[in-house]
Amino acid sequence: MSLRGGFPVSLIRYVGSRIIQSVPVLFIIVLVTFLLTNQIPGDPVSIFLSPGASPELIAEVQARYGLDRPLHERFIAYLFGVVQGDLGYSIHYGMPVTEKIIERLPITVFLTTCAFAFAIAISVPLGVISAKRRNKPTDHISRIVSLIGVSTPSFWIGLLLIIIFSFYLGLFPATGLVLPWADPETVRGAETRLDILRLSIHHAILPTIALGTLQMAQITRIERSSMVESLREDYVLLARAYGFPERTILRKHAFRAAQLPVLTIIGLGLSTALGGAVLIETVFEINGMGRLIIQAINNQDYELVMGTTIVFGVTYVVGVIVTDVLYAYVDPRVQYGGEE
Amino acid sequence: MASGTVDETVETTPSERHNDGEDLEKSNSGVRYILTQIHKDTSATIGLYVILFVVAVAVFASIDYYIFDYAFAERFLYHPERDAAGGQRLLPPVGMESIYGPGVIEHPLGTDHRGRDIFTRMIYGTRIAITAGFAATSIGLVGGTVIGAVSGYYGGKVDDLLQRFTEALYAIPFLVLIIAFMTAFGRDVTYAMVGVGIVSIPVFNRLIRSRVVSVREKEYIAAAKVAGAKDYQVILYHIIPNSFSPVLVQATLQIGVSILIIAGLSFLGFGAQPPTPSWGQMLAESRDYMLPAPMYSVWPGLAILITVFAFNLLGDGLQDALDPRIEN
Repeated sequence: MSLRGGFPVSLIRYVGSRIIQSVPVLFIIVLVTFLLTNQIPGDPVSIFLSPGASPELIAEVQARYGLDRPLHERFIAYLFGVVQGDLGYSIHYGMPVTEKIIERLPITVFLTTCAFAFAIAISVPLGVISAKRRNKPTDHISRIVSLIGVSTPSFWIGLLLIIIFSFYLGLFPATGLVLPWADPETVRGAETRLDILRLSIHHAILPTIALGTLQMAQITRIERSSMVESLREDYVLLARAYGFPERTILRKHAFRAAQLPVLTIIGLGLSTALGGAVLIETVFEINGMGRLIIQAINNQDYELVMGTTIVFGVTYVVGVIVTDVLYAYVDPRVQYGGEE
Repeated sequence: MASGTVDETVETTPSERHNDGEDLEKSNSGVRYILTQIHKDTSATIGLYVILFVVAVAVFASIDYYIFDYAFAERFLYHPERDAAGGQRLLPPVGMESIYGPGVIEHPLGTDHRGRDIFTRMIYGTRIAITAGFAATSIGLVGGTVIGAVSGYYGGKVDDLLQRFTEALYAIPFLVLIIAFMTAFGRDVTYAMVGVGIVSIPVFNRLIRSRVVSVREKEYIAAAKVAGAKDYQVILYHIIPNSFSPVLVQATLQIGVSILIIAGLSFLGFGAQPPTPSWGQMLAESRDYMLPAPMYSVWPGLAILITVFAFNLLGDGLQDALDPRIEN
């Protein structure tokens, strides 16, 4: 079936079934997070009561937070809350966890998206060139560069970028991030929408490179091997025999088929990138989800730890569904249930 | 999974062809075969020697730490009594000069914010990186092999259940999962190893499972069964040895990945606790002195890069050498 004429009904149905399939996964995410957080040593109540609190007071606070109930009852109560979008209350910030996360999540999503855009923009052409000039100097250089890329810690790249581009050259700011859709009135040093956009790009460049390098290297490697294989296929030979120009063969015949493994690796890379965001946000002092979870742990703000962990999981699941749908879009052979 | 996965569709590997039919005379000739293959590939050879060197450094550091209580370090690497700088803080490497003064030969790579020798600390950081890398990979390897073998061998409901559960668990981005795990159990490097080991289970699980599924129907498995071998014997003596080479490749790559993750965790404060030196933690400490002492931030990262690069070089070389489909 051809999908070129837009999104057909069956694709929408496919998306729906993918979402339903992910329900058990989401359940296990909540369960694992709940059990892990419950395992944390120390009584949550003691955090906000003085050591000399009377037993009655302790019992009262425990009852207020439902800590006197058995584990499974608390889990069910928490699960019901999560389903309704209530992730509990952050003691440290004095606000609902959901609100805090809504404030921080766009930053991490923006950063991760930028990193992937950067990675794909560089790696796909690099991988194709490398495959085309297999075993020539260009190929060797690109292979070594990508091997170095997968071997370098992202946070170290971040530190080096700060030292070189912020401290020595003074080209980019060393900390912070501005969202391109932020309100000009809330951002210091910005008056118009254009200022915001400029600031946003200015701030995003270094963290994007730091976070995206690993993905770039990874995708280059897969793109290369996938293209090498694709260029050996019979239909490419046939196209050559027909005398199609090499450019057309590369673009129309070999390229599209070679993108499937690349999409798979992007889906898997999402987990690495979201985890990497924790490191990069720490290096660049960006107030996103990653920094939030580390601060929550250090502040012993456990409902916030649970909430951020769950939202990290949900973000990943959503990302994987998006790649799956793209996969179905690129590969016409994927049957997404229902009629042909 | 920061590095490429092994191609899972490999039909027969040389070691398997070796074993197919005739039983196990694998181990010795297998290892020798792999070594000769490595020597044919220049980059794999370089990788192997760099790894041997780093491991030797780690062994030296461990012996000195556990048995001699840093006696070697003080004798050969760093001499407090002859220290011209007198433990001056944030000295630059030899040949460079900063506001804190010129570099001195006692501290070839300079000193940190407490006047400690960076070179010596890096040597001792090797201990944590190598131990953690190998330990985490072993945990992942054993766990993944058991789950993958059981799941692939029995198929059906067992397979479904195990695969769904591992899949679901890994829906949490692994660094976040390890951080949550370490918050629950403990911040020390031991838990970092266990955490990284657990998250690398699915890598080996997937690999072994696909191998088991493809090997399951082979004649020699049927022969072993007819000869009265029990299920676990078939898995242990026939199926696992026959998956040896792809697992070896993946394990090599995974050690590099584990070292990267563990460095990242220590950078965030989840790992070896001070004063025990680790590369990630040195980088975290250097963050506060990037402006006056930029080279402090360079060395530990370089150590991570070289070590991980060596494992990736060896892993890639092994993959090419052991995969007969690739003609280069």
